[in-house]
Amino acid sequence: MKKKSFFKQGNPTKILLCAVFVAFVFYPFIRMVMNIESDDITRVFQSASFMPSLVMSLKAAITTTLISVSLGLTLAFFLQRSRIKCKGLFTVLLILPMLIPSISHGMGLIVLFGANGILTKFLGLSGTIYGFTGMVVGSVLYSYPVSFLMFNDVLKYEDSSPYEAAQVLGIPKFNRLTAITLPYLARPLIYAVFTVFTLVITDYGIPLMIGGKNTTLAVMMYQEVLGQLDFGKGGVIGLLLLIPAVITFVFNTFFKNNAKMGYVSKPFDIKKNFLRDAIAYIFCIAVVLCILLMLVSFGLVAFTEKYPTDMSFTLDNMTKMFDRASDYLVNSVIIAVCVSAIGVVVAFITAYMTTRMKSAMSSVLHLFSITSLAIPGLVLGLSYSMTFSGSFIYGTMAVLILANLMHFFASPYQMMYNSLSKMNENLENVGQTLGISRFRIVLDVIVPQSKSTIIEMISYFFVNSMMTISAVSFLANTSTKPISLMIGQYEAQNNYEYAAVISLIILVSNILVKSIVYVVNRISAKRNAYVNPVK
Amino acid sequence: MTKKNNEAKAILRITDVTHSFDGKIALDNVSFEVYEGEFLAILGPSGCGKTTILRNLIGLLFPDEGKIYLDDKDITCAAPSERDMGIVFQNYALFENMTVLQNVQYAMKFRKDMKADSKKLALDMLERMGLSEHANKKPNMLSGGQQQRVAIARTLVLHPRVILFDEPMSALDVETRLSLRKEIKQIQAEFGTTMIYITHDQEEAFAMADRIMVMDNSKIVQLDTPINIIKNPADAYVQRFVLDNLQTKIDSLAKYIDV
Repeated sequence: MKKKSFFKQGNPTKILLCAVFVAFVFYPFIRMVMNIESDDITRVFQSASFMPSLVMSLKAAITTTLISVSLGLTLAFFLQRSRIKCKGLFTVLLILPMLIPSISHGMGLIVLFGANGILTKFLGLSGTIYGFTGMVVGSVLYSYPVSFLMFNDVLKYEDSSPYEAAQVLGIPKFNRLTAITLPYLARPLIYAVFTVFTLVITDYGIPLMIGGKNTTLAVMMYQEVLGQLDFGKGGVIGLLLLIPAVITFVFNTFFKNNAKMGYVSKPFDIKKNFLRDAIAYIFCIAVVLCILLMLVSFGLVAFTEKYPTDMSFTLDNMTKMFDRASDYLVNSVIIAVCVSAIGVVVAFITAYMTTRMKSAMSSVLHLFSITSLAIPGLVLGLSYSMTFSGSFIYGTMAVLILANLMHFFASPYQMMYNSLSKMNENLENVGQTLGISRFRIVLDVIVPQSKSTIIEMISYFFVNSMMTISAVSFLANTSTKPISLMIGQYEAQNNYEYAAVISLIILVSNILVKSIVYVVNRISAKRNAYVNPVK
Repeated sequence: MTKKNNEAKAILRITDVTHSFDGKIALDNVSFEVYEGEFLAILGPSGCGKTTILRNLIGLLFPDEGKIYLDDKDITCAAPSERDMGIVFQNYALFENMTVLQNVQYAMKFRKDMKADSKKLALDMLERMGLSEHANKKPNMLSGGQQQRVAIARTLVLHPRVILFDEPMSALDVETRLSLRKEIKQIQAEFGTTMIYITHDQEEAFAMADRIMVMDNSKIVQLDTPINIIKNPADAYVQRFVLDNLQTKIDSLAKYIDV
C-alpha cells in the first residue's frame, strides 16, 4: 500500500544527472589517469626541471598562502570590528582583483615594476620583479580576495554573546582571544589556507608571466602539454597538482561544522576607538591603493602609443584590438553566456533534487555535484583534451562550454543548495494538498523566491568563464579561443598595450555583470523589505 | 457543534492504520473516527506518532496497512488534492513571493469551477477573515497571527470537509496563542468545518477541543471528551502526562489567588 515511487522521488532525473557527472568529470579524469604509463612517471621524476619546479611551487605557494591568509584576515577584521565608514565601498574595491585573470596580475606587475616599468623608472628602483618575489606578489594579489571574503563572512556572522558573557565573568582580553576567537576561527582558517594554497599552486598564469627563469609545476604541466604535446608527463604533474585540491575537498566535505545555529547571532557593539579606526583606515586604504595602482596601470598602458618607449596617449589600441580580437571577445561572451544559461538550469535542478526530493540517490548526486571542486581547471582541461580529442565536439565551442560548466559547477550548485535548504520545507506539500503540481510550485513559488541566488549563480558562471585561463588553455584552437588566453600571447609578443586592453575589457565586463547583480538584488530587497508586524 | 455520542455522523474513519519508517513503527494499528463539525485535538509528546497520523490523513504519507475513509469513501491511496481536506502547517508555508490575495487566489486558478471567480472568492474570504486591509501585502509584512489567518483562508477558500492543523502555534508568543485559539474556534463556528488539531500542549487541547485523542508510543491511549478524560483517565500515562501536568500549572497559579 505504501507508495514510495521510484519516479516520484525524481530518481530518473537524479540518475541522469549522475550520469552527466560520470561522463564529463569522472570518465575524462579516469581516461587521463589510464593513459599515464610508468615511463611517464619516471620521465617526470627524473627530468632536470622537476625538483626545482616542485620546490619553487611549494615555496611560492606556502609564502603566498601565509601572506594572503594573514592579509585577508586583517582586512576582514578591520572591516568587521572597526567603525570605519564606507565599508561597502572598501569591500567592492578589495575584491576587484578577483575579476581579472591571474595572468593579468603578472602583466600588471611587469608594467609597474619590470625593467622598464612605470614605477621602476619613476622611483628609480633597482633589482628585478621577475622571479620568486614577482610570483609571490602577483599570487597574493590574485588570491587574497578569496580569503578576505571567507573571513569577512565568518566575522560578520560571529555572535557577540560569548564575548559579553566572558566580559561579565571577568575573563581577560587575551584569554577571550584564545578561548573564543581562535577556536571560532580555526576551521575557516584551515579551510582558507587549503583553498588559497590550492589556488596558487595550480595557477600557471602568474609564474608563467613573471616567474622569470623559475618554473612551477603548473607552468611545467602547461609547457609539457602545449609546448611538447607530452600528455603523459602532463598527466603525471596533473595528478600531483590534484593532491592539495583533494585534501581541501575532503576537509571541506567531510569535516563540516555541523553545529547548526538555532538562534540569531547578536551583532557586535563596536566601541569608539580612534587609534584602531585610524590604523584600519590606513591599512585598508593602502591595500586599495595597491590594487588601484595595478588597475590604473592597465588603463595607462591600454591608452599608450607604445609601452614603454612612447607613452603618449592614443585610442588606437582600443580600436585595433576590437578589429583584431573582436572574434575572441565574441567567443568569450558566447562561452560565458552559454555556461551561465545552461549552468544555472542544471545547478538549479540538481540542487532541487538533492534538497527537496530527498532519497538515497540525493546524497550520491550531491557528492558528484561537488566533486569538480577537487579537480583543478588545468587537470580538467588536460583530461578533456585526452578524452574528447578526435570526437565531434573537440575543437568546437561546445567542449569549452562543457569544460567551464563542469569546472565552475560546484560553487553555484552549493549557493542554490543552501538557498533551497533554508526554504520552507512544506511548500510542495501545500501545493499537493491544494491540487497544485510540483512543477507549478517550483515555477511560481520556488524560482521567484530563489531569484537573488539565481542571479548570483549567473554572475559566478559568467565572471569565471570570462576570465579563466585554466581548463580552456588545452582545449581552445584559433577559432574558438576565448579572449583571456590572448593576454599571454600578446605579452609574449611584447604587445603590452593589447594585453592591457584585454584585461580592461574583461574587468569592465565583469564589473558590469556584478553591478547588474547588485542593482537587481537591491531592487528586489527593497520590494521585499520587512515591515514591522502589524498586530 | 459538538458530537459526543455514538449516533453522531462520522466524517472520517481510520481503521487499523499502521505506518513505519525504515522498519521503525510510527503508527501501530490505529483506529478512530472523527465526527462531522467537531474539533478533535491529537495530544502527545514529540515522536508519539501524531504528525504521522496527520500526514497519512492528508495523503503526504500512505499507510503500510489499514484504511482511511472520508464519508465512507476509501481515500487511503488518494492524492492529497483529491481528499477534500486542507492543512495548516506549523510554519504556515505561505508563498512569500506572492501577496496575501495571491496566496489565497493561487490554488483556485488550477480549478475549473473556481478559476473565473477566483479573485472575487479570494477577496470575499479575506473579508470574512478580517484580512481585507492586508490583501496587497506580502506575508513577511504580517504578524504571526495574521499569517496564520492567511494560511487558514488559503485552505478554507477551497471548501475542504476537514482542516488539519500541524502544531500551528508552537512558534508563537503566549498572547498571540491565546487570541488565535479564540480565532480558530470562531472560524470553526462560522464555517462549520471539521478540524483536527495536533498539539503537545495539554492546556491548548483542553481549551479548544470537543474531543481529545491522547497518544503515546505510536498508539492511541485514550480518545474522549475533556471532561471524561479528567474524570476517568485511561491509565497512569494519561494521568501523568495530561492531568498531573495540568494540575502543576493550576497549582503554580493557585498560590497567588486569594480564595
